Amino acid sequence: MNLRIRRLGVVLGVLYLVLFLQLNRVQLFGAERLQDDVNNTRGLIREFGRERGPIVTADGVLVARSVEYGGSVDFRREYPEGELYAHITGYQSLNVEAVGLERSYNDELAGDPIDQRFASLGDLFVDRNSTATLTLSIRDSVQRVAAEALGDRRGSVVALDPRTGEIIALWTFPSFDPNPLADPDGTVANAAFDALVADPDTPLLAKSYREIYFPGSTFKLVTAAAGVETGLIGASTPVFPVATTYEPVPAGALIRNFAGSACGGDLVELLRVSCNTAFSEIGAEWVGPEQMVDAAEAFGFNADLGIDLPGAAESRFPADYGERLANVDRYRAPGQQPVEGAETVLPNGAVPVHENSARLAQTSIGQNDVAATPLQMALVAAAIANDGVVMTPHVVTELLAFDGSLLDRVEAEPLRVAMSASTAAILRDAMRVVAEEGTARNLLTGGVVVGGKTGTAQLGTTPPNSHAWIVGYAGLPDEQPSLAFAVIVEAQEGASEQTGGRVAAPIAQAVIEAAFN
Amino acid sequence: MTATELPPTHSVSPLLALRPRRVEAGLLVMVGVAVGVAYGLASFGTTEAIPANLGPFLIWMFGLGAVAHLANRHFTSAADPVFLPISLLLNGLGYVVITRLDGSLAALQSTWTAIGIGCYVATLLFLPRVRIIEQYRYLLGIGGLLLLMIPLVPGLGTEINGARIWASVGPINFQPGEFAKLTLAAFFAGYLVDSRELLRSRLELRDLAPIGTAWAGSLGVMVFQRDLGSSLLFFTLFVVVLWVASERWVVLAVGAVLFFGGAFAAWTMFDHVQKRVDIWLDPFADPKGDGFQIVEGSFALADGGLTGTGLGHGEPGRIPFAETDFIFAAIGEELGLAGSSAVLMAFLLLIGSGLRVALRIDRVFEKLFALGLTTLLAVQTFVIVGGVLRVVPLTGITLPFVSYGGSSLVANYVLLALLVRMSHEQRVSVRPAKGSP
Repeated sequence: MNLRIRRLGVVLGVLYLVLFLQLNRVQLFGAERLQDDVNNTRGLIREFGRERGPIVTADGVLVARSVEYGGSVDFRREYPEGELYAHITGYQSLNVEAVGLERSYNDELAGDPIDQRFASLGDLFVDRNSTATLTLSIRDSVQRVAAEALGDRRGSVVALDPRTGEIIALWTFPSFDPNPLADPDGTVANAAFDALVADPDTPLLAKSYREIYFPGSTFKLVTAAAGVETGLIGASTPVFPVATTYEPVPAGALIRNFAGSACGGDLVELLRVSCNTAFSEIGAEWVGPEQMVDAAEAFGFNADLGIDLPGAAESRFPADYGERLANVDRYRAPGQQPVEGAETVLPNGAVPVHENSARLAQTSIGQNDVAATPLQMALVAAAIANDGVVMTPHVVTELLAFDGSLLDRVEAEPLRVAMSASTAAILRDAMRVVAEEGTARNLLTGGVVVGGKTGTAQLGTTPPNSHAWIVGYAGLPDEQPSLAFAVIVEAQEGASEQTGGRVAAPIAQAVIEAAFN
Repeated sequence: MTATELPPTHSVSPLLALRPRRVEAGLLVMVGVAVGVAYGLASFGTTEAIPANLGPFLIWMFGLGAVAHLANRHFTSAADPVFLPISLLLNGLGYVVITRLDGSLAALQSTWTAIGIGCYVATLLFLPRVRIIEQYRYLLGIGGLLLLMIPLVPGLGTEINGARIWASVGPINFQPGEFAKLTLAAFFAGYLVDSRELLRSRLELRDLAPIGTAWAGSLGVMVFQRDLGSSLLFFTLFVVVLWVASERWVVLAVGAVLFFGGAFAAWTMFDHVQKRVDIWLDPFADPKGDGFQIVEGSFALADGGLTGTGLGHGEPGRIPFAETDFIFAAIGEELGLAGSSAVLMAFLLLIGSGLRVALRIDRVFEKLFALGLTTLLAVQTFVIVGGVLRVVPLTGITLPFVSYGGSSLVANYVLLALLVRMSHEQRVSVRPAKGSP
């Protein structure tokens, strides 16, 4: 019998060896696969319930914090300012993916990076709070004024420091209260989320950097920059003849001025009155497709702007204008009339006509398929204010450790060079004229030098309605401008070129006053 | 035992042979410290405070250990010193995890532990010789069958979680099957003492009647009580003991054929068996429904990794029945592969000690009884741990000494007392100097 008992011992040993091997597979070698399984919510809940660092504005207002929560999780997230910062902080939710800074700075807020966890050798032995505090470049005093000035009109306000790319205000109405979405009770969070998703005004979408709009006449700043960069156009020469229409070559949709008016003159005058016909001509005949696309992309179009918030939309400038047409080439030299004919060699500055140059005539004044985020249009103004250099936009300036010491500082970084400093200077002066004598007079405020450009992107005619735009810069006299901005008020009644100046400019003016207060 | 077989080796490690109780006392102190620390850590992990009742807990735990140890000193002074400390370690670790999962179960489980230790001491006290049992073998066999049938009696039996294995007398619920396995092991051993010579010399169809009866009985348990785990346990117990007693491979072959035949029949006939098998093959087919428990158990074990989340720092409460069937996954989560392997090792040590008693003891009844009891312990542990780890289909059964549950705990302490008693008898028999034959 003992032989059998020994054999039984061997069999049991083998069975337990199988258990041990499987145990190793589940707990060690196959653990990662199990932890990554879609049905595994353990990591999610653990992540959700951890303490995270607070988020604080440049002027010290707490906009996100972790508070202890007695229940299924140790901590929950609270957003004391509610909807004012929802599109910046985003939210951390159990049910849906995090957005905003809660997402882009998830690891730092949670205290995961190695350098945060082990700042010194002693940290190997104690369980130190390694969460990081985010300091924003947003100034609560400006953000609040932006929200109040826009009121309950749908739209966005973006204000930033053109020298550094630090965003000072970033507001979209309608916004939402992120607190219910961060509720540890999944049913509460789900109900809140469903209601927000069902809202036709899409309050969850941070339209200031995640939605694109027809930029209207504000885009003429890009065309003007491209025109000056050709070397053929200066502030006061050439003088464009007064016209009511522009006829593209080859034939296409006729470009008209607002309300059938006639306009012309030098570049400053063209910007002051926002002259459609002349800017169509500049884009289509003086700059040409390749350089127009290059110019738009130099401002940031058709690319990621590198903002430290997730899900940013790319602005769009159409790049396809068809083949070059050899038999309808024409050129324009300063002061000359268009000459039709099949020239084989073009003089300096001449632009070959393309199959779809008529489309270029439209895109050059911000029509057709051009679409931009409010952030992008603020960067257009910022590039002009900052001697042609577009700085990478960001909302986080500093990461602080739990004890207040500095972990990391976000340095100002150039994103692109949009134009030369001399071109920028010409446009700055022109924009100042627009603010002081043109369509953007509502921008003016005491003690500050202001430049701007309005836009009215027509959406339809029955009834007439349009997006009202203003972009611009502001600074102290004899100093480099320290503020660039874009304001859009969506779907306003009316379609006159005055709409942008009438509706959007006062909001920008309030922001300027708050910023320079 | 045949003459061709080697006599059992009686070489006992001199150290152990000299002072087994002193070794036991040392081991018990180590177990007490380990469990006390675990209790404190688990409480600290969940509430960030040293538990207020840590002192009373330590006194209670060391008190119970001391009572059992003193009983061993008095009644079974020569017994293998491994049994009691390992069992108390498993019991203590289980208690810590149960308390950490559901504080309201703590008082009950500690009461059951005390009753278990009481039954342990009582078994040693009232059973000076294991051979006494042998004469009551038929009574015990019938008793076992009756115990198994109690839950089927209207008014007494209660169905809980789909299995009709509970009996209710007033406010007390218990699982008679936990005790039936002990009496049936005694019956099998006693019956085979009588018939094994017969079985060894010839093998006719009618000689397979007992194995057929056991098979039918197991199927009966499965069909009427829907208790797959116990069914498997009884059948394995009988086949193993019969195989060892008869020394015939054909027993294993017939046992295997009957097992797989019965399993296949059950699979075709019963939805709940089919479901168990389907979940076993692919728990991720319905991770939120049928497969939920085993999927969550796997996630818990995966979270544990090598060293675990730490006691009180995991989320074992997410697993359904974490304090009973899935307590192994809860341990694996919070103590990691290190802790879960340690639990497996502890069971292997117990099983090894049990088999050693069976190997070395001379009398046939005791040999088969010790073998049966050890097989029960080994198979039950394998079935539930294998079920949690998806090595075999999951059947709801307790992890001996560790899971929450009074019947299981008390029955296993009685089982332990019987093994300890036999260990003592075996060791004394090879040391005539100690006196008692």
